[in-house]
Amino acid sequence: MEKKQLMEIIAGILVLLATVGTIGAALLYDEHLWGGLRTIELTAQAPERGNWNIQEIHLVRGEPVRIKIRNIDTVSHGFAIPELGISLNGTGEIKPGNVGVIEFTPDKTGDFLFTCTTWCSTQHMQMTGRIIISEK
Amino acid sequence: MKNSMKILIMVLVLLAIPIVILAQTEEPKEKVITINAQQFSYTPGTVEVNRGDRVTIRLISTDVHHGLYIDGYEVSTDARPGQDGSLTFVANNTGKFVMRCSVTCGPFHPYMIGYLKVKPDYRLFGSIWLAVGIFIGSILLVIRRQKP
Amino acid sequence: MTEKILGLIPVDWRFELTSLPYVRKIIKSRWMPFLPIVLNLSVFTIILMAGFVGGVSAGNYNFGIMFVWIVWWLLLMMVMVPFFSRIWCMICPLPAFGEWLQRLGFMKVRNKLFGLNKKWPKALKNMWLVNFLFLGTTYTTGFLTTRPIATFILLMSIIIGSIVLMAVFEKRNFCKYIGCPVGGFLGLYSNMAVTEIRAKDPQICKDHKHKDCVIGNEKGHACPWMILPFDIGRNTYCGMCLECFKTCPYDNMAINLRPPATDLLVDKNRGLDEAWKAFIMLGIAIFFFLIMQGNMGFLKDWANAKTTEGYLTFVVLHSIFNLLLIPGVFFVFVYASRTLGNKEIPLKKLFTNFSYTLVPMGLIAWIAFSFGILFPNSSYVLHVISDPFAWGWDLFGTAHFPWTPFLTGVMPYFQIGTLLFGLVLSLDIGFKISKQTFQKRDEAVRGFIPIAAFLTAVTIFLIWLFTG
Ligand code: SF4
Ligand SMILES: [Cu+2]
Ligand SMILES: [Cu+2]
Repeated sequence: MEKKQLMEIIAGILVLLATVGTIGAALLYDEHLWGGLRTIELTAQAPERGNWNIQEIHLVRGEPVRIKIRNIDTVSHGFAIPELGISLNGTGEIKPGNVGVIEFTPDKTGDFLFTCTTWCSTQHMQMTGRIIISEK
Repeated sequence: MKNSMKILIMVLVLLAIPIVILAQTEEPKEKVITINAQQFSYTPGTVEVNRGDRVTIRLISTDVHHGLYIDGYEVSTDARPGQDGSLTFVANNTGKFVMRCSVTCGPFHPYMIGYLKVKPDYRLFGSIWLAVGIFIGSILLVIRRQKP
Repeated sequence: MTEKILGLIPVDWRFELTSLPYVRKIIKSRWMPFLPIVLNLSVFTIILMAGFVGGVSAGNYNFGIMFVWIVWWLLLMMVMVPFFSRIWCMICPLPAFGEWLQRLGFMKVRNKLFGLNKKWPKALKNMWLVNFLFLGTTYTTGFLTTRPIATFILLMSIIIGSIVLMAVFEKRNFCKYIGCPVGGFLGLYSNMAVTEIRAKDPQICKDHKHKDCVIGNEKGHACPWMILPFDIGRNTYCGMCLECFKTCPYDNMAINLRPPATDLLVDKNRGLDEAWKAFIMLGIAIFFFLIMQGNMGFLKDWANAKTTEGYLTFVVLHSIFNLLLIPGVFFVFVYASRTLGNKEIPLKKLFTNFSYTLVPMGLIAWIAFSFGILFPNSSYVLHVISDPFAWGWDLFGTAHFPWTPFLTGVMPYFQIGTLLFGLVLSLDIGFKISKQTFQKRDEAVRGFIPIAAFLTAVTIFLIWLFTG
């Protein structure tokens, strides 16, 4: 093969790497980071902008789970399941563009409330959802 | 060249006199100021105090969680609806300082800004006179070079 | 006697950077600037992805917003343009797809370009279109800098627009005249740069009848920016693509270090389009300051389109201010200059020539403005590099680094210092232009006074606005 053609092919591969490759690598890394455990992805937004994306979460007692709360809003939010004593560490606040992670294994069955813990809008009190934990 | 330097220095010295005259200070006082924070501005937008004043700022928010950070003084507080914030400092540095919201409060959060002005603003007077000095200096320079 | 910039460096002082070992070799390789473009392309892929997945979330915690409007914008204004001219255009990945399509390849040289290869209409060979394009883009600044998806849309439209338009119009007409909002001021402000690409020995060019740099050869393309590499004159339309280094059979091209702002003294091809570019840029710096760092809430609500009337008021005021008010005030001073200097000189010539004094003023105003973003807000960058898509990553352990303003106490001094330096530089350039425009020296001195007063007034206004 001619040298020029070879250079052209290498260049093409580099362009592919820079575009498709970058996207692919990001997705793979994300998969690698969060794979394994069952992960529920919650996105938090104030009620007037869409509220929690999922307002009913179904879990099974004894099965470990990870709840990943992505704050895709422009104000801070929080997350807690008061009746199970579950809340975020630290300040209990997830800043916009940040992600909070909670991992736990439900040990009770029943119907519980999860809520935002930060005064995020005038409708903050509506920013709730239900967690339903059932027997296997 | 030496002569024009001399002239420049003389002009600058002359121009400095008004600054000294303008820069008398007032007696330091105790000041309590209430600031209302609302997406995406503070009311009042400008807080004026004198050098040496002991300033207490009470921050009230009526919509979402806001903060207040003061440039240069590096103090901050925050407020939620029904939960006011406050901060106190002695205004020893003069000039204009930007007060910024320090809690992300919406799309325009980085642009939520107020001003703290501590008088007398030597920095402003000084730089204006410098600019005027440069102006006069440049004119003198080009005029003098004209006839060698 | 040759003139000296700031009375220090002779206008024609040059140091040839490409005379350093290896530099010329690197520049002549076809991997340059292909490799930097590809690297940059992968950064832009992340920016686009972050903008897309970021949607309407908080811009200050978004990789796309932060990299475009803080990292890129500040680098552009504070480093690239003043020091390296249009180096951004050398490594810009946005028109790359269009260019690869024209060349039907990435690095190979193809002298007959693919596409319709239409010529750009002569009447539009100026900055007017990009003036309006950039002004139009700034109407949406309230969204662009705060909503990730808006930045995504802007960049995507530039990429798609470039592919389409570059398939129609030949070479880099897209960058030069139509498609790129920032291209115009990159060109004008690059006149300030301390580097330039020029031919080394004009005699060699003169004797070389078959101008390879203009028509291209097997080593490189004909100048994609459609300028004459042997007679560049000003940096304005040189996109630093480096093709002429490859095509020149005599190695007669050079990258030089030079004193700043010398292009402003080139009395050739000056025009009202560039004058207005200078006005618009100065006006936008002021308006951006008011929106982003001012204390007037209503203005923010306008720019944020809280109400339609407010937004329209903003658009109208912004346009009037930039297109009419600033030129109007400037005109008064130019008129005074003519009255004092010499009434024979055509007003238009005086107006155009003196408007170039606003180039140093404007660039410096932008640098001073940029300090007001750099110190308070650059700490956001630490967060976004660790978690670019807000997916809970922590690549560098800085994902939880809080917003930390730094050096905000001395920030005003940086701003005042640069503005005063800008005044000195623009006064210096101002008098040189005055001497060029008025024939006699005493006329030039008298005609210079009103212009100097205007520049000083603008500086004082900016110092007051930014720091007082
Ligand atoms: S003109 Fe614009 S699009 Fe073209 S290379 Fe320069 S920055 Fe990129
Ligand atoms: Cu909430
Ligand atoms: Cu706020």
